[in-house]
Parts: sequence; structure tokens; C-alpha cells
Amino acid sequence: MKLALYPGCLMPTEQYAYEMSIRETLPLMGVEIVDLPGFSCCGEPLKSINQMLTLHMSARNLSIADREGIDLLVPCPMCHLALSEAKNILDGNGEMKKRINAKLREEGLEYIGKQRLFHIIDLVHDEIGLDTIRERVKKTLPDLNMAAHYGCHILRPSEMGRPVDSENPRKMEAILLSLGVRSEDYAEKLDCCGGPLLPNHPETSLAKTGQKLQAVSEQGFDGMVLACPWCQKMFDSKQTKAAESVGSRAHVPVLYLTQLMGLAFGIDDAKLGLNLNLSPVDDLGLKGEVE
Amino acid sequence: MSITDMTSMAEAQSDLRSEINKRLERLILGVSDYCYQCAKCTSGCESHKLLELEPHQIVALLKRGLIDEMVNSEIIWTCMSCFKCKERCPQKVPPVDILFALKNLTVLTGKQVPGDYTQMLQSVMSIGYIQDRQTVPTRSGDTVKREDLGLPVLSGLQDPNGFQNIITASAVEKI
Ligand code: SF4
Ligand code: SF4
Repeated sequence: MKLALYPGCLMPTEQYAYEMSIRETLPLMGVEIVDLPGFSCCGEPLKSINQMLTLHMSARNLSIADREGIDLLVPCPMCHLALSEAKNILDGNGEMKKRINAKLREEGLEYIGKQRLFHIIDLVHDEIGLDTIRERVKKTLPDLNMAAHYGCHILRPSEMGRPVDSENPRKMEAILLSLGVRSEDYAEKLDCCGGPLLPNHPETSLAKTGQKLQAVSEQGFDGMVLACPWCQKMFDSKQTKAAESVGSRAHVPVLYLTQLMGLAFGIDDAKLGLNLNLSPVDDLGLKGEVE
Repeated sequence: MSITDMTSMAEAQSDLRSEINKRLERLILGVSDYCYQCAKCTSGCESHKLLELEPHQIVALLKRGLIDEMVNSEIIWTCMSCFKCKERCPQKVPPVDILFALKNLTVLTGKQVPGDYTQMLQSVMSIGYIQDRQTVPTRSGDTVKREDLGLPVLSGLQDPNGFQNIITASAVEKI
């Protein structure tokens, strides 16, 4: 299976560990990653400013995939929603498709709409399959109970055809189980990381993050696993500040699903960018010899 | 190009505001009329406890046509766009979409846009991304750049000037 990696903004400019672990793990599961020139922001971070701009930006990225006739791997839930929504609008509204294509033509592009979109979770769970994952596991991970955090935009709105169930997502838990990692339910599972408020309400944004970290910590989880660069930025990169903002001393190891997969596949932790996680991931005892 | 520049260009297009008003009107007639004020949206709203956002009130105010009042209020900028309200409304009313339309209208009327949105927009206009590649800390106390990590070069825009012109035109166009 060949997929073009649509990087979005945050992963390739800051959340390098996500990109490293994706590039390390997917080829082991039969996915060839292709890099295409010309991608830009999906437009979703600017949706509050101008929705037309968001639609145009998403459409131009989709049309780059159309030009190459290739499906897209979109690891950021926010980008995944923006691109899905653009497809939904353009495929359902011929008038709008014409208007947008008139703009895209100025860049020599055209939206056709043939490309399929994958996030990491549905790609691994639905396309690659859990049997393949189990076959690739080379290392017994310690007995862990990790809190799964999906990220809002991969869950909702279901109207836009999200890759997982909006109210009872199970795919990440199933992937974790095939790696030998438990993931119990918790009441706050579907809650937001607070990230979208960072541009204009930074303190509240951090308080939101802190509250969820505290909940995860109080319920005895060993750590948190996620698949969103924005959520990782909040729960991992900003963990100390977030915990302080709610007067807690949360000490929660946070890592990407693809990092955990890579470790279970026996990939060296340096190649998975584990040193870029600022939360106490060493506490998980994940390193060590491949059996 | 700043948001203010964009806005003054936008104002030259006299029907711009009425376009968004029409969009809101559609939300009033087509959607918010179905709201029966059960407040389920507010009960699950991520911004309710911390910032006192009440999506059911937003719908109620829209129903009454109090658009200017909301455009002038800080409260519309407290939404986290978690989409819970839209997902869970028994009447398929999307308060989050009403909030996006109101924020768009606020920008077009030239009001101060809060926070770092201006900076993000400027960055997208010039390099195509909301920020350039950052130097990041490691857990062992060093710092690293993208180039240090064996990742491929980030290709980015092929024609930044062309992109800027096209995107600017799009940013001021009718919705
Ligand atoms: S959940 Fe829907 S019907 Fe109930 S108050 Fe909110 S918008 Fe209205
Ligand atoms: S999308 Fe906004 S208004 Fe709706 S529940 Fe989430 S924070 Fe509240």
C-alpha cells in the first residue's frame, strides 16, 4: 500500500517524534510513504477567521493528491477533519466545486476528489489489521494500563465520517491490546485537551489539559497514549505548566501510539524520537533488549 | 498582509457582510428554529465550566436575531471547537457552526481579533504553515532541529508569491 504523507503544520515543524515514529513503523507494516511537494496548512486553525479560506486551503492540498492519483495519510486529526469536510462540501455542492476549482486553476491544480483519507488509527486497525500488528511484535512490553486519548477531531462530528465511533471509540484500545498493553475506560476519555484555546485563552487552555492529566493520574493509569500532535503538545510538551495551573503535580508519561508500536516492534527508541517526549516516559520501563 | 488590511479590502466589497448575514439567517431559519432549549449542548460543553460559554444561549440569541450583541462579545471566542454540542444535539442544531459564522463576521467587521490568530494567518500567507520549523528541547536537556533528526527536508510551497496572492484573494472573498 502506497500513501502520500500529508504532514500538516504542527507535526513537521515541532512534533517531530510523531513523524519519526510514523516513518519508522509504517514500512514494517507494508505501507510505503511517499512525500509530495507543495503541501500547505489545511486551513483549520484559521476557521474562526474565515471558513472560505479553510475550504480553499483544504481543497488545494487534496488537489495535490488528485494530481498524483494517490491516497493520503493524514496523521493530524485536525487536518483530517478539515480535509474530510472539504471533500464533503465539494463532492456535494457542484457550484462550490466550480468556484474552488477556479481558484485552484491559478496554481495549476484541480480538485477531483478521488483520494481516500486515512488517519493512523483507522489505517492500522482497518487496513493493515491487528493480525499483522501481532506478527510484528518482537518485544514483550511491561504490563501497562494506558489511558487512550483520541483527540476531538478524530471523534466528532460523526456527520463528517470520522474514522472511529464518536461516543464509544474502541480501535485504539484494540491496537494497544494487540501490542500487549491494556487500556481501561475512564470517564474523561472523550474530553478535549484544551489545545484549540491556546491562541487566545492560554491559561484556560492549560487548565483544561491539567484537569485531564489529573484525572488520568488519579485513576491509576501508567500513562497516556495518543495520536494527535496538538494533544501531544498539550499533554506532553506542556505537562509541567498544565499540571501547575490546576495545582497538581501530575507525573504522567505520554507518548504517541506509533512510538509505542515502534517499541513493541523492537525499533530503537532514538529512532522513534522518544528523547523528544518531555513527560516522564522513562518511568514506563519501555526500553531494554528485544527478545 | 494583516487581518486589518484584509478587512479593509473586504469592506470594499459592499455585499460581504450581507453574505455572512445570509449564512446566519439560514442558520436561524433552517436550524436554530428546531432548538427546544434543552441545554444538552451546554451540559457537555468543554468551555462551559471554565469560561461560562453556554451554547444553548448562543442559539437562543441567534433565534432572537441578536447578532450584533454576540459579534461584540468576547464569549464567542471561548469555544474550543470540540464539536460535542453538534454531535449530541437531539435536534441536529450545530451551535459550534453558529459560533464559527459569528467569529467570521466579527473579523469582517474589522473588530480586534484576539490572541495569536493574526500571527498564524501571517505565517500561513508567507510560508504556507502556521509556523516555521522549531528548535525543540529534549528530555535530556539538549535542543534539536528538524535537520538533526534524519527527517526528510520539508518541501513546502513551490511558488510562495503566487500562493500568497491567491490565498489573499480567497481570504476576502464572499462566503
Ligand atoms: S442541545 Fe440542541 S436543542 Fe438542546 S439547547 Fe442545545 S442546540 Fe438547542
Ligand atoms: S464546540 Fe464549542 S460550543 Fe460546542 S461544546 Fe465544544 S466548546 Fe462548547
